Amino acid sequence: MSQLIVLLTVQGYAAIISLAGAILVIAVVLFLLRTSTTQEDKLAVKKKVYKIRGRYFFALVTCIIILLLVTLQLLPYPKFQSEPGEVVTVVGMQWMWKMAPGTSIETPAAFTGNNEITLPANKAIRFIVTSGDVNHDFAIYDNNGVLVAQTQAMPQYHNELQYVFPQKGDYEILCLEYCGLAHAIMLGKIHVQ
Amino acid sequence: MIQISSVEKRQQKKLVILWSITFLILFPLLVTLGLLMRLNQGEWMRMSPGTFYALMTLHGLGMAGSLFSIALAAISYLIATRYARLNIGVGYFSYVSVVLGVLGLAIASLYAKFGAGWYLLYPLPFTGANWPAWSTGLTIISIIVLGIGLLINCLHVLYALAKEYGGITRIAGWQYFKKDPPEKELPSVVMISTISLVPAVLAFLAASVMLIMYLLKYFEPSLAFDPLLLKNLTFFFGHTLVNVTMYIGVGWLYTLLPEFTHRDWKITKVTAIAWNATFFFILFAYFHHLYMDFVQPLPLQYAGQLASYFSAIPATAVTMFGVIVQLYHSKIKWTIVPLMFLLGTAGWAIGGFAAVVDSTISINKVLHNTLWVPAHFHTYMLMGILLFILAFFYYLVGAKEDPGKDQKPKLGFWLFVIGSYSFLLMFYLGGLNSVPRRYSDYGGIPLKNVHETGAHLAQAASVSICLLLLGLMLMYVTLFTKLLRSSRPAAQNETVL
Ligand code: HEM
Ligand SMILES: [Cu+2]
Repeated sequence: MSQLIVLLTVQGYAAIISLAGAILVIAVVLFLLRTSTTQEDKLAVKKKVYKIRGRYFFALVTCIIILLLVTLQLLPYPKFQSEPGEVVTVVGMQWMWKMAPGTSIETPAAFTGNNEITLPANKAIRFIVTSGDVNHDFAIYDNNGVLVAQTQAMPQYHNELQYVFPQKGDYEILCLEYCGLAHAIMLGKIHVQ
Repeated sequence: MIQISSVEKRQQKKLVILWSITFLILFPLLVTLGLLMRLNQGEWMRMSPGTFYALMTLHGLGMAGSLFSIALAAISYLIATRYARLNIGVGYFSYVSVVLGVLGLAIASLYAKFGAGWYLLYPLPFTGANWPAWSTGLTIISIIVLGIGLLINCLHVLYALAKEYGGITRIAGWQYFKKDPPEKELPSVVMISTISLVPAVLAFLAASVMLIMYLLKYFEPSLAFDPLLLKNLTFFFGHTLVNVTMYIGVGWLYTLLPEFTHRDWKITKVTAIAWNATFFFILFAYFHHLYMDFVQPLPLQYAGQLASYFSAIPATAVTMFGVIVQLYHSKIKWTIVPLMFLLGTAGWAIGGFAAVVDSTISINKVLHNTLWVPAHFHTYMLMGILLFILAFFYYLVGAKEDPGKDQKPKLGFWLFVIGSYSFLLMFYLGGLNSVPRRYSDYGGIPLKNVHETGAHLAQAASVSICLLLLGLMLMYVTLFTKLLRSSRPAAQNETVL
């Protein structure tokens, strides 16, 4: 079951593409090991391989251009997002998360917030994320344990992450930028209703 | 062609063997740190987070530093014995600085538990640290010492090549851009070294700016710098250096593989263009480390993905197809050196492919800082450049002239390859299952499946690491004795390259 879930996520696509790439490489290695037992003149080999290389080159360039055109449409940056339905301020500190609705004019250190928050489903939420000390990374996991969105929490900067929670339930916040001793237990929670 | 006396060659050989032996001793120790980390993540062992992060920092800095150093030492040896005269004093200076630097890093992390990660990301070394302030200072100074030694070595090699071949544009192969090939041929390793070492120099310059800022901050804690600027500098340095390590290894692939296939591998117009394009891709790809910094200017985010994608073109269409031209129907004898070159190229390709996947912004948003990241760079470090380095060592001890009947190295080699890929697979699966990187253990993760998957994969990885260490030791048995023997000047029948 969990395998199936993986296949439907972005991670699943990454897995399939990478596996295909690795298999292709292994196939070429095996092919070279097998064909190297006979001998042919270098010039003849060159001619053959270069013919394939020409085709490969055009195929690769075409692939790259298409992939760039497609993937660069899907950026997580604020410029590519619609107007948010709700705004949440998030401050990362060694070693906790502070979250509260609305924008804040407080300094990160003075900002008061909680490591749990309740938010609506199916509404665009914009998280305005910063840090009160070192770099952290605000990462949202759904309750299947799949990482669904993240942005860095950098001191002096505000990163704006937008996300629509598709389901009701609890989402967990982990820190994904190494921030010292308790980095692995810097937790938060979002209750989606 | 330049004449280099056999005395000079012997001096250079002694130096490179000193480097090799030092590296071969250090490497399994650093692997053992990796094993300890995986054991802790697998909950088969308990260490405090402070210890874990100190080991992680030493492992990362030690591996990246020593692999770059040994790659530079190897390419310098090839150059000094064939293409341009290099000063032996510079070589020893660089060796001593690296050894001192590594010692300093080891003291800071093992004794004082300095643990800010390889990248010392500002302002972590200074803020909320659980290690004494002097260990931050010692780490900064150690990196400076190490860096100066390597920087001077890089500059010296570039200078010597430029002097020998008529200027920087010539050693970069620009004369090949014209329609007709130039009269004086440029050895491919010279061009590749240039294309790799110039970015390395730039990376060291970025690092010096950064380290000077760190030193100022260390002595005057009230100073504050821009964290985004420092993150850019850090990754320009770290990414470029690791990237360049791989490309330096490709330099001796172009030189040594042809000796086994008896097919030359010369610079053509296409290779010259490809490598000069690579130069820019090396410099701009690092932006992919800042995708999740949404405030980074958008054009730089695009540049990161473009440079990362396009770097696949010269790497595959020129170098990897070049390997195919070398090997296809070549009737090559598959002794350990060409085998390592073939599998090393494959490891580079597999790791590189996984890197390109991760350099897609819309995929990076769920793979960034998961175990996918160490997965891909460990692939091309361990199964790419490290195999090239081992190939170089075997070449050095004369594996071409006398492949030897001993089956131990080959058995060791296959164990090493199988163990390594199995270890790497666990990193990839961890990334796909959203397991974060740089977690001392997964016990605190409130999501049961992430915690358990992470721990189980770490256990499987630990077993794999033991396997790869065993393979490594089997290779060591013969490699060590041969290295020591060939360093003795008395050896009559030895071939000096
Ligand atoms: C078999 C050999 C190796 C083993 C067992 C190993 C193991 C590990 C482990 C367990 C981590 C921590 C992963 C995490 O949870 O974030 C790590 C990180 C790292 N490793 Fe390795 N590794 C090996 C080889 C290498 C090599 C050849 C390099 C060369 C560059 C390298 C460079 C690094 C770096 C730079 C880090 C990141 C450190 C940081 O995050 O500050 N490792 N390695
Ligand atoms: Cu953290």
